[in-house]
Amino acid sequence: MLMRTQSRSSTIASETGGIALQNLQKRYGAFTAVDQVSLSVAPGEFISLLGPSGSGKTTTLMMIAGFEMPSSGKVLVDGKDITYLPPHRRELGVIFQNYALFPHMTTAENVAYPLRMRGMAKAEIETRVRRILDQVHLGALASRYPHQMSGGQQQRVAIARALVFDPPVLLLDEPLGALDRKLREHLRNEIKTLHKEVAKTMIYVTHDQDEALAMSDRVAVMHEGQIRQVSAPQDIYRRPEDLFVAGFVGEVNLVPVKLSSGSIVGPAGENLSAAQCPKGDGDATLCVRPENLHIETATREVSAGIKGHITGTTFVGDATIFELRTEAGLHLTSKVLNITQPKTLPAVGDACIATWHPQDATVLTK
Amino acid sequence: MAGTVISSAVDHSAVVQASSSVRPTRWAWLLLPGTIFLVVLFIVPLAGLLLLSFGVPDWSLANYLRIGDSPAYFIVLRNTLEISLAVTALAFVLGYPIAYALTTGGAGLRTFLLIAVVLPYFTSVLARTFAWVVLLGRNGVVNEILLQLGLTSQPLALLYNRAGVIIGMTHIVMPLMILPMFTVMSGIDKKLLRAARANGASPLAAFLTVFLPLSLPGLIAGILLVFIYCLGFYITPALMGGVSDITITMEISSQVTEQLNWNFASALSVVLLVAVLAILWMGSRFFPIEQLLGFSSGEANSGTASNRQLGTQYLMRIGSAVNKLDRWLPSLGGRSVPILAGVLATLLLLPVLIVAYLSFSDSSYFVFPLPGYSLRNYENYLSDALWIRATFTSIRIALLAAGMATVLGSMLAFGLARGAIPGRGAMVALVLSPIIMPTIIVAVATYFLLAWWGLQGTELGLALGHTVHAIPYVVVIVVANVRNLNPAYERAARSLGAGPWATFRTIIAPLVMPALVVASFFAFLSSFDDVVYVLFLGIGRITTLPMRMWEGIRQDISPTIAAVATLQMTLALIIVVVGELLRRKKHS
Repeated sequence: MLMRTQSRSSTIASETGGIALQNLQKRYGAFTAVDQVSLSVAPGEFISLLGPSGSGKTTTLMMIAGFEMPSSGKVLVDGKDITYLPPHRRELGVIFQNYALFPHMTTAENVAYPLRMRGMAKAEIETRVRRILDQVHLGALASRYPHQMSGGQQQRVAIARALVFDPPVLLLDEPLGALDRKLREHLRNEIKTLHKEVAKTMIYVTHDQDEALAMSDRVAVMHEGQIRQVSAPQDIYRRPEDLFVAGFVGEVNLVPVKLSSGSIVGPAGENLSAAQCPKGDGDATLCVRPENLHIETATREVSAGIKGHITGTTFVGDATIFELRTEAGLHLTSKVLNITQPKTLPAVGDACIATWHPQDATVLTK
Repeated sequence: MAGTVISSAVDHSAVVQASSSVRPTRWAWLLLPGTIFLVVLFIVPLAGLLLLSFGVPDWSLANYLRIGDSPAYFIVLRNTLEISLAVTALAFVLGYPIAYALTTGGAGLRTFLLIAVVLPYFTSVLARTFAWVVLLGRNGVVNEILLQLGLTSQPLALLYNRAGVIIGMTHIVMPLMILPMFTVMSGIDKKLLRAARANGASPLAAFLTVFLPLSLPGLIAGILLVFIYCLGFYITPALMGGVSDITITMEISSQVTEQLNWNFASALSVVLLVAVLAILWMGSRFFPIEQLLGFSSGEANSGTASNRQLGTQYLMRIGSAVNKLDRWLPSLGGRSVPILAGVLATLLLLPVLIVAYLSFSDSSYFVFPLPGYSLRNYENYLSDALWIRATFTSIRIALLAAGMATVLGSMLAFGLARGAIPGRGAMVALVLSPIIMPTIIVAVATYFLLAWWGLQGTELGLALGHTVHAIPYVVVIVVANVRNLNPAYERAARSLGAGPWATFRTIIAPLVMPALVVASFFAFLSSFDDVVYVLFLGIGRITTLPMRMWEGIRQDISPTIAAVATLQMTLALIIVVVGELLRRKKHS
């Protein structure tokens, strides 16, 4: 979206904007909203805080922005402790849910606001505002009021307002929350492009897993106030370290298993395999994604797998979803891409065996 | 009384239906009875007033020239203006912190503030004025405290002078100032303040550049409402003012009842009316007045934005300057505003509570603190045939007025909410006018009309006057409810085989019933508390409860009145609580 990269800001931004959260905790009476959150964000990194509502992701962001005071712990920006600095002295750009554009000010006045608050000279303000508005293609709409603009235009005003004072970090609080699906996807790409161009650290709060996976360098999945896993999007999806993460990001089949001396025993005594498997004995859960669960018709003898029969099929356009019930009464889902019509697709009632490649399965003990 | 009126304005997001395509629906017929009633009992009397002021049938400007010629009337106008300006300014300064804390404070503080604003508001003006007469008198509570603390060696003259009027009036108009401010402030997205802070504004700069300009319409509305109310205020100036503090309303009253110069009284009324209309017109350029009273016009944002532009720019400059000083300014501390608001709200509540306290005295004089507790004031009230008769007269008239107002007002409300008619704006203005116009003008005008019909001094005549005054309350409460009534329910009922009447009986009536009950309660209360209409329409033949209180306050200020006032407050409190419970029940 930004046509030219500002060489000055990008070189500065690549060196500054590192954030460290150290054991952040926020309690409201007996309720702990954020519990011992520690996180290091490299300068220029795009990191998402992903979690359901009430998981503490917004509270964490608000503590970074300075609108919530942590009960304990520290917030550091480039090594400087800003935990108790009031928000207006933090020099962090914030993009709010629904953008929080000032309704009584025009686009230009909104964008000029941070500069005026910094007491910048009038001529300098005008130059900077015009430059950034041109960059986000809003030059022609400078004198419009927020309510006269579309959702996409409003987002650009919000971005311009947050960037105009050149902060090293942008905090984004579910900026796409209230928009319809088509527009969300479009604006998602705009933010991603923006990140590449301005090379600023971005912390993006969302409850939408697609958004988090598509945009981030790393994703931090939060649940009940804690960060459950911080990894690159591929690893979050392929190698979840936590049952909540496995279930929250994407669809997953959960198979209760028993670990005993290095082998994985299924619910009906099957001998199962998984590449990621912890040491030790006891109860555990094997996770495998529906697209990695293959169905073989039971005519052929297969060494590893779970036996069952098909209870339903659903055509969803690009794929067909098969539901099956195992001999132990477990419900599993398999997703088969409709690339070419397979010769023998099983039908409802057919006996079958569900299999997977060991590298696609993960066993979790918690 | 206009409390519900303003609180129901909160849902001004509700959109007026079909404002673009104007095709009268059958609902529009419901407007007919109420409109005829208001034309006959509100428009015709005001027109009559205008004619009388020109000396009809001998057209002349003599009455107006007389106002201009005599320095006495100039002083009356100046008094009115000075008092109104002082009260409005005071109420604004004292009301703003309360409204601000009411929007931004913690849950506990907000509840307390709301009670402190709403409870006095629904207490009748007469009861609150009585409280101040007791508090500020020579041997009143305030002087008593000052003497005991040794702050003064002899009682101060606080009553029957300018200071007393201003104190009493300010207290009475405070809720009227606070509620519209609060309505607008609570509509401001708190995230905007965070956005300002994130963009480098200090708390004070964020307030000046974002909150203040966005709350401006509410401030203007509050100031206008209060100023208009002060100009036409009669009860408190008449009871608390001194000989040199004659206001225009007192002059009108004296011309009607003592001088019997109707033409001149009419001319004075027209002057007051023109002043009020001019202020309303000016105000409507900044803020749609009908929106404040619960009607949204849909295109509210576009026109007013440019008018506020200038103020915003100015505030931006101040905010920017303040921000530069931020590091050197002492931190205002997050606590000071809530504490200030709490103290002011306590002062707001105190007079009402003190009267309730004094009503339990066992002395036949007002002594503070009480020498002992007893129910003798209540016994006196209950055993006095005159008080009891006055009470029953009040109830009879209030029931009659509430009945008429509920029927006519709810029909008007359905017509306005559902029936798309041309000239809807004018209809809304007509329906709401009776509470915006000074009561005394409407009462005087109605008196002339009733005298013409020979209905002056009858309970029916008085109830008719009260009905005009109560209709706007009913309309505002019911309109808010009908707007939330999803027409899909009715369509569903029709599709399931219900005819129009069955749909009304089984769907609309049960859903609207709580609002109708609440509306009729408030209509009852507005009649039950009134004294201005009684003074003119009753011509001494009807003694209602407030009328007896009025006479009591003027003559001997007996402690029995404290008991009556306390009972009146309790009634108002019950009505507010029941209304609130009904509202909650509907929402659950």
